[in-house]
Amino acid sequence: MAQSMAGPQQSTSSFSQGLRRNGILGAFIIVVVALALTKQQFWSIENITNILQQNSVIGIIACGMTFAIIIGGFDLSVGATAAMASVVCAVVMTTSGQFGVPLGVGAAIAAGIMVGAINGALIAYLRINPFVATLGMMTIIRGLVYVSTNATPVFGVPYEFTNLGLGKIYGAPIVTLIFAAIALLLGAVLQLTRFGHHVYATGGNARATSVMGIDPDRLRFLTYVLVSVCAAISGVLLVGQTASGQPQAAMGYELTAIAAVIVGGASLGGGYGRMFGTVIGVLLLGVVSNGLNLFGVSPFWQPVATGVILILAVGLDRTRRD
Amino acid sequence: MSTASEGIGERRYVGGVEAATPRSILSVSDVSRYFGGVTALENVSMALNAGEITGLVGDNGAGKSTLVKLISGVIPPSAGHIEFDGRPADFASPSQARTAGIETVYQDLALAGNMTVWANVFLGRERFRGPRFLHLLDKKAMIVAAREMLGRFQMNVPPIEGNVDGLSGGQRQLISIARAAAWGSKLIIMDEPTAALGVAETQAVEGVIRTLKDRGFSVLIISHNLDQVFRLTDRIWVLRRGRMIGERRTAATDPNEIVSMITGARAGNGEVA
Ligand SMILES: Nc1ncnc2c1ncn2[C@@H]1O[C@H](COP(=O)(O)OP(=O)(O)OP(=O)(O)O)[C@@H](O)[C@H]1O
Ligand SMILES: [Mg+2]
Repeated sequence: MAQSMAGPQQSTSSFSQGLRRNGILGAFIIVVVALALTKQQFWSIENITNILQQNSVIGIIACGMTFAIIIGGFDLSVGATAAMASVVCAVVMTTSGQFGVPLGVGAAIAAGIMVGAINGALIAYLRINPFVATLGMMTIIRGLVYVSTNATPVFGVPYEFTNLGLGKIYGAPIVTLIFAAIALLLGAVLQLTRFGHHVYATGGNARATSVMGIDPDRLRFLTYVLVSVCAAISGVLLVGQTASGQPQAAMGYELTAIAAVIVGGASLGGGYGRMFGTVIGVLLLGVVSNGLNLFGVSPFWQPVATGVILILAVGLDRTRRD
Repeated sequence: MSTASEGIGERRYVGGVEAATPRSILSVSDVSRYFGGVTALENVSMALNAGEITGLVGDNGAGKSTLVKLISGVIPPSAGHIEFDGRPADFASPSQARTAGIETVYQDLALAGNMTVWANVFLGRERFRGPRFLHLLDKKAMIVAAREMLGRFQMNVPPIEGNVDGLSGGQRQLISIARAAAWGSKLIIMDEPTAALGVAETQAVEGVIRTLKDRGFSVLIISHNLDQVFRLTDRIWVLRRGRMIGERRTAATDPNEIVSMITGARAGNGEVA
């Protein structure tokens, strides 16, 4: 009476889910091996650190984006939020004297929380569609950043701060260590805690969660705050990489981050996705663009490659499911 | 011999005195509900006995679902009052009703298909391990407990660690019912629990509902399937166009009488308004 009856549909669906996850990992490994075999420079320590260094900032944004996509939305304002955080961070650092560095970082994170709270309130409580709400916020924030800086970079950040953005510990870029720590932490939140569990449930069936006494609006609100905080951390790291606040920073990061999350196996319909998949998605896009670079292909081709990978990943997944 | 309530209790109705008179678990008194100009229910009264399966029947639009929503705290009545287990049942939300001991099985819409069976059983009532504030899920404990909860019913248990997505309607209904039964609830309400099921699955779910009664739960079931109502219930209440037409002991009536009460072809001797 108990046990038994592993319904056939059941096992196929978890099988294809496994294939899906491993399919992305497989594609990533194939690309890495192919590049390592065809281009010696690829497998050099410098190049690998270079790839990690370049993709960690967007990787952190993608980690936050994973939550937004699992809960059934997304956030187009992350790039603008990162730029705003970088400008806020630089301005506070250069004007607050002795404690400028911690104050600057704190102000940037606070700005992120504020943006996230606005996004979250618009989407969760005023029921504005995430596309409209975050597109609006994206243009508003970017506009305000231009207005307040006259679209010119903010210089004068203490030079030591570039240790954060460009430094290494035992050969590993610090930004990459931060990316790894955030991915591990948020991955654990997603898989092991009640919050993560309820994010999946809300993305799968918001009605069910509210019937069971969970407040899906509160979860959505918190999710968008989390996304913006990740974007703000990325903004701080951008200051560390350029020793300045850049109004034009992180342009288009929102789409790359969403692409990475989807390539990593999440579904735009909500309910599915994993942090590990997102990390592989980020690295896959990064490695491909690095490969194009090594082969001397014009950088203008990189967005083309990203788009092709995105469509391939989703298309292959579809055929595998049918 | 439809047993009036023995007040069977692995739960709380021990006491023994009530053996003769059925103990009332829920009483609805003169309840009305309006939606704008529409009168969904007018001066409706109903009483449910503890430990019985009660059927609520009536034509489409008679007000059955509305009455259930009033009892389970989804919407408040416009007038009248409801008493549950000796206390006023003016619930502001379904969770308050659930806390008081009323569980409602919603057809399908309360399961998250992207999640595992055990996660659905424990949705909103997770078990934790480690430091409390971290809310770390105790997956192992929940898997073991969910398997045990579902195993109590005479029905094939779906894979506990698989997603709900691929399950049949009957298996989903089993999960919903087992979940409702697992939480110290006293009254379990089901609005058309087998409406979307085939013959075999309907039989299986009916078995599950009988198990509930054997375990001492009170059950309120809405169904358009009169054969089913006669197979399962101890008592039948009939609604017509928002009014309670009357009540019959299942053993003391027959489908013809119930049909005429539903359609109004012949007046039943309803005691209530
Ligand atoms: N939210 C609402 N707004 C307006 N009218 C409603 C609402 N809910 C129910 N009604 C009306 O109340 C009346 C009773 O509806 P109810 O859903 O309770 O009937 P029912 O007995 O469950 O019918 P069925 O057997 O078709 O499920 C109907 O006339 C319906 O149109
Ligand atoms: Mg109904």
